[in-house]
Amino acid sequence: MAIEIKLPELGEGVTEGELVKWLVKVGDTVKVDQPIAEFMTDKATVEVPTPTAGVVKALKAKEGDVIKVEQTLIELEAGAGATAAAPAPAKTHEAKPSPAPVAAPVTAAAAAPAMASAEAYFPPVADSKVLATPATRRLAREMNVDINALKGTGLAGRVTREDVVQQQGGMTVVAPSKAPGMSIPRPSYQGPAGALEERVALRGIRKKIAENMQMAKAIIPHFTLMDEANVSGLVQLRDSLKSLAEKEGTKITYLPFVMKALIATIRQFPQFNSSIDDAAQEIVYKKYFNIGFAADTPNGLVVPVIKNADQKTILELSKEILDLSKRARDGKLKPEEMKGATITVTNIGSVGGTYATPIINHPEVAILGMYKIQDKVIVENGEFKVVKAMNYTITADHRLIDGAVAANFLKAFFHRIEQPGVLMADMM
Amino acid sequence: MSTNNFDVVVIGSGPGGYVAAIRAGQLGFKTAIIEKESLGGVCLNVGCIPSKAMISASHFLHRAQHDAPEMGFEIPGPIKVNMKKLLAWKESVVTKMSGGVGQLLKGNGVTIIKGEATFKTAKELTVKSSEGTQTVTAQKFILATGSRPIEIPGFPFDEKTIMSSTGALALDAIPKKLVVIGGGYIGLEISSYLAKLGTEVTVVEAQSSLLAGVVDAECAQVVARRLKKNGINVLLNAKAKGQKKTNSGFDVTIEVQGKEQVIACEKILVTVGRRPNSDQANLKGIGLAIDERGFVKTNPQRQTNLPHIYAIGDIVGQPMLAHKASHEGVMVAEILKGANRVFDVKVIPAVVFTDPEIASAGMTEEEAKAKGHKNLLVSKFPFGANGRAVSMMETDGFVKMIADADTHIVLGVHIVGPEASNLISEAALAIEMAARLEDIALTIHPHPTLGETMMEAAEATLGHAIHIIQKPLSKDKSNGAHP
Repeated sequence: MAIEIKLPELGEGVTEGELVKWLVKVGDTVKVDQPIAEFMTDKATVEVPTPTAGVVKALKAKEGDVIKVEQTLIELEAGAGATAAAPAPAKTHEAKPSPAPVAAPVTAAAAAPAMASAEAYFPPVADSKVLATPATRRLAREMNVDINALKGTGLAGRVTREDVVQQQGGMTVVAPSKAPGMSIPRPSYQGPAGALEERVALRGIRKKIAENMQMAKAIIPHFTLMDEANVSGLVQLRDSLKSLAEKEGTKITYLPFVMKALIATIRQFPQFNSSIDDAAQEIVYKKYFNIGFAADTPNGLVVPVIKNADQKTILELSKEILDLSKRARDGKLKPEEMKGATITVTNIGSVGGTYATPIINHPEVAILGMYKIQDKVIVENGEFKVVKAMNYTITADHRLIDGAVAANFLKAFFHRIEQPGVLMADMM
Repeated sequence: MSTNNFDVVVIGSGPGGYVAAIRAGQLGFKTAIIEKESLGGVCLNVGCIPSKAMISASHFLHRAQHDAPEMGFEIPGPIKVNMKKLLAWKESVVTKMSGGVGQLLKGNGVTIIKGEATFKTAKELTVKSSEGTQTVTAQKFILATGSRPIEIPGFPFDEKTIMSSTGALALDAIPKKLVVIGGGYIGLEISSYLAKLGTEVTVVEAQSSLLAGVVDAECAQVVARRLKKNGINVLLNAKAKGQKKTNSGFDVTIEVQGKEQVIACEKILVTVGRRPNSDQANLKGIGLAIDERGFVKTNPQRQTNLPHIYAIGDIVGQPMLAHKASHEGVMVAEILKGANRVFDVKVIPAVVFTDPEIASAGMTEEEAKAKGHKNLLVSKFPFGANGRAVSMMETDGFVKMIADADTHIVLGVHIVGPEASNLISEAALAIEMAARLEDIALTIHPHPTLGETMMEAAEATLGHAIHIIQKPLSKDKSNGAHP
């Protein structure tokens, strides 16, 4: 009998995920708990296992689809070609799977006589009544647009290239946080004829990053303020804590100090720890401090979040940053670990560059950039002095934060980061 | 026994298989192609290409005999046909084409394996040849093993006296009398050229008309008239009941509308159709889904029920045409590379190399009505009104155009006449592009060419061709009128 395997919950509050990759194909024999597909939610990729054993009869979605929780993923033939006496496995993923009775390899006799792969392609074949040139039909297919569903705007109802390109923008899945009614143009790209180019589907984390960045840039009027801080004191403090951290079995970086200074500063400037609810036309001030930090991974940028960072010690922050970074690189972050940041720090200094103009992680309203520590000569009281210098940027949403406010914010932040002792005064 | 592993293995090197293999090679796959006979398959070796060589040659002879005197050429005495030399020339055409396929395959890095392939398991082939047996494995298989002539009870092929198209194309002497069972396009093509070379031909067709259901009925009529003119005896509603060997050949018993008659002949050609080769290569043994007519079942991506096996060409269904197979071959290779493709063409043009040629693209009137086009515009333009056709002394035939009356979108084009096969591509493009009659009518066609008939047929369908009298010229059909 055929069993439908549905998408289980992928995390608290996660209602859907993007199918990044099938790990099984029609005809495969699967065991209980064998991963069948890779899903991407927010910014984590998770492997979804099957709760039931059997032979894959049909894949009910295609790579790139966004699937809702409880939507059918695959159809399994339990006991295909094996035994009719196999206990009928339960229908839903909550039920305990029955011991796999169907380990037998798929023999010729067991191969499904029906067109098992009928679901393997999308969109459906163009109806013979559709008026579109062969090139337009192919474009629609490659852009995942069902040309049968389009109303042609061309002469006598022809579906034009433009109809397809426009439709593609409308048909893509709307990111959960996307502002309603916003339409992003999706122009096509056509390289020079015969040029050596390769096309790869924009999928998974990359697609999410692209959507988020595009949305943030489209909604938020960004501006960035840059300055150089003298962090000689911070370097000294951090060095003095190195051995302590080692005893605790961890490593101490500058990021926890920056976070602490940032939290103290946003207490003073609460508009930096807020969001704009565009729909309600309200500013939402947040009374909690969840600090996101940008992490570079083989799959692309992800932003793990340290929840209630104000309530954690420097050492606790250090440990949590190391743990989250490692799991981010391994692609093992849980969706909820990348949610709910109230402000984000991006540490570009670990790679290089003097300054950047980061993009705000919408719906946040600011992002702090920190850069490389370098020895620099400064003039102090008429004398040259070698100091440890570190560049910072604050990028803010100009709808909410004026330039002068950002300048004062950075000044207040520098007051703390340049004199770590002040951090003591901030302690609660 | 050696084992070879490939990314893609194509079985069969006909116009589907070799094209698929070349594209797979171009896309960077480690590709092999397996052929049990000659590269190029039926099409190139015992089908399309050699038959066209014979048709060209016989047409040449026919024109020298019939048209040349009218043009002022005086040929003293009858023209002698050296059938052995003609056969050698035909073979040289085939050899050239087959060799070309081999070079293209090698040039694209495709390994050519000679031998007969059988699936040992769904993922493993055994290839037997005179040099031994080897095992070939692959990630993906493309099945392109084609079709073969259907044999009917009582007429077993020996390919010398009772022949399929294969035997007929290899004749090294002109048979005096030939009975052709089956008046489809293959039977008529061979009948036409053998008749021109001097054979007395009788065509036995079970249906009430020639090329029934294959081409537009009016087009078939033009060919039927020419067959008669060229001395071919056509028996309709006729069935071949059996044959008896005689000293000079055969006595074939034919039943025409309940009455039996016996026709004496030297050889028999059976061309009642082709069947897919799905009973070979252990396809059933590995569980490949095959329909009741013997075609391998595929989805619009030409993927079979075994996801790693694709099938293209004659073996997956009608129409059994080389160009359909080639299109599928390219498509499947690209699908294997990850491209999103399906077989979604609007038209598969068809050509019949009778005298004159028939070519068609798109729907007939009946098909258009069945598809829900209630109001049709249908018109014909005759080759007799075309300067080039007259100067070629090839004036039989016409271009028929069918369009939707409400939108003027071209739905079908049916041509019977000189070079119909070369003219039809414009119609295929027009239909694929969803062209309207005006699009063809307003495209300048060079003069003096046969291609002008396409423009004139479009004009005629709109009601106002220049070179034929059409009246009255109704208002709503004036040029460029938007429906």
